[in-house]
Amino acid sequence: MTVKIFMRKLTALLLNIFVWLFSITCVFPFIWIVYSSLKTNREFSLNIISLPTNPQISNYISLIKDSNMYIAFFNSAYISLISVAIIILIGFITAYTLSRFEFKGRTIIYFLFLSGMLIPRHSLLVPVFIFFRNLGLYNTRYTLFLPYIAFGLPMTIFLMESFIKTVPIEIEESAVIDGCNIFDRLFRIIFPVCKPVISTSLILSFLGTWNEFPFALILIRSTRLKTLPLWLTNFNGQYSTDYTQLMAALVIASLPVIFVYLVFSKRVVQGMTAGAVKG
Amino acid sequence: MNPLTPKKKYIYLMLLPGLVVFIFAVILPLFMSVRYSLYQWSGGSSMEFLGIGNYLTLFSDSQFWHAFRNNLFIVFYSVIGQVGIAFVLASLINSRILKFKKFHRTVIFFPVVLSAVVIGFLWTMIYSRQYGLLNWLLESLNLNFLIKYWLDDPNIVLYSVTAPLVWQYIGLYLVIFLSAMQGIPREIYEVAEIDGATGFKKAIHITMPLLYDTILVAIMLCIAGNMKVFDHIYVMTGGGPGRSSMVMAQYAYNTSFSMFKLGYGSAISMGIFVLSLSLILLSRKVLGGFRNDS
Repeated sequence: MTVKIFMRKLTALLLNIFVWLFSITCVFPFIWIVYSSLKTNREFSLNIISLPTNPQISNYISLIKDSNMYIAFFNSAYISLISVAIIILIGFITAYTLSRFEFKGRTIIYFLFLSGMLIPRHSLLVPVFIFFRNLGLYNTRYTLFLPYIAFGLPMTIFLMESFIKTVPIEIEESAVIDGCNIFDRLFRIIFPVCKPVISTSLILSFLGTWNEFPFALILIRSTRLKTLPLWLTNFNGQYSTDYTQLMAALVIASLPVIFVYLVFSKRVVQGMTAGAVKG
Repeated sequence: MNPLTPKKKYIYLMLLPGLVVFIFAVILPLFMSVRYSLYQWSGGSSMEFLGIGNYLTLFSDSQFWHAFRNNLFIVFYSVIGQVGIAFVLASLINSRILKFKKFHRTVIFFPVVLSAVVIGFLWTMIYSRQYGLLNWLLESLNLNFLIKYWLDDPNIVLYSVTAPLVWQYIGLYLVIFLSAMQGIPREIYEVAEIDGATGFKKAIHITMPLLYDTILVAIMLCIAGNMKVFDHIYVMTGGGPGRSSMVMAQYAYNTSFSMFKLGYGSAISMGIFVLSLSLILLSRKVLGGFRNDS
């Protein structure tokens, strides 16, 4: 009997160790980059794994002072924040209309938006490039808004539509009796009720736009308009031997999403699960 | 359904902004692309009408089909790797013997939120011959014979670029499985334990059948997700060395933006569209069909 208990404890221990090892492989590479970015390139090349003996932030300082990374950071922030705000606004109005009212073409429009989650996005790169270039929308300050909003909408509409369906219509009825018009109903009655699904959509669209790369790659050429992922790929071309400098750049580029994940991890996980499974 | 329905024109007005953006950035480019795929065109003013010429070229373009096969390779290993490993981990994390469940879940999900470009660079450094984490690890374990030029050896590069894709998204499938497992009543496991079922048996005979639908959804998701792989490969190898890690999206990109064959690039895009969508729909049909039978 004691042997049996011992064996069971041993198995439990081994399985725990196994999961621990796996967890470590998921974060260690990034942690390695964080502490290595505090080394000089010379120190790094002597021993790639050791902790910095004398941590210094010169890699970060030179990125901020001598490179144009701050422009890319600003561009990413500007495009992500505005895209997300518009995705939420348009997504909310569309989802509300689709879930509340019966009208001609409702099903078609609903499936049109849903198709956005199914259409293979990478097949649109060349078409979107040609189309935008012909219309003079190539390489401008507002170029990326269009694809980012268009590809952010389907998921947002989907999440919000199924949420609004669960909101009882009675709360709107009493509002109408009190003399509310349609916009009051939308923004003063329903919007506050939808807070959970709105914050989920906010986070998901932010992660999506901040991390987006292929559309930025084909639609943006000027350095002053580049977003962070695009800037990183060019930066690497220039400084491919300066490892620790690149590591510092990767850390800076990831800070906002890491922050969002640490603060809202529960919502991120929930939203991604719901969005993925429904999609 | 709703007695408070506003006038028709308001309804359509409310739908207008979303429809305009969506049609403008998704639907119209697709239609335009069908037209451009019928021309030989390098972006300038001269366009030569070829009819279905580009498509005939595409059918016999060994480079394109090579890229397609690479996509299928990546999809295959990702389904096994992502869905398989995630299921094993989820079963373990869901069981009583595991401590620090929340910690593990949070940590394993972490790579999912990082940008694919960052992951690409991260793994380029992991794979680096001289300064890479992987070769360092092999060396410290005295496994020197395994040390390789991970991204420069045409024979293994496809495995090397698949590993980061699998690694990054295991967390996504893990949380999908975990949330589905929460729906399984504890009592079922308890009864099984009284009957003497071990952890492994519980996973195979209870969790797996009850999670059947979720597993199928995860597989479909995995197929759709890995048909569109581009960012990681663009950063790590650009499809190289030679064409050994070329995928469809990278091939369309190279054709259109390095060689400026926009007409042919459009035809390739249509090829990607049809192939990816068929595979996604096919997987839904086949896997969804299983679901109805059982």
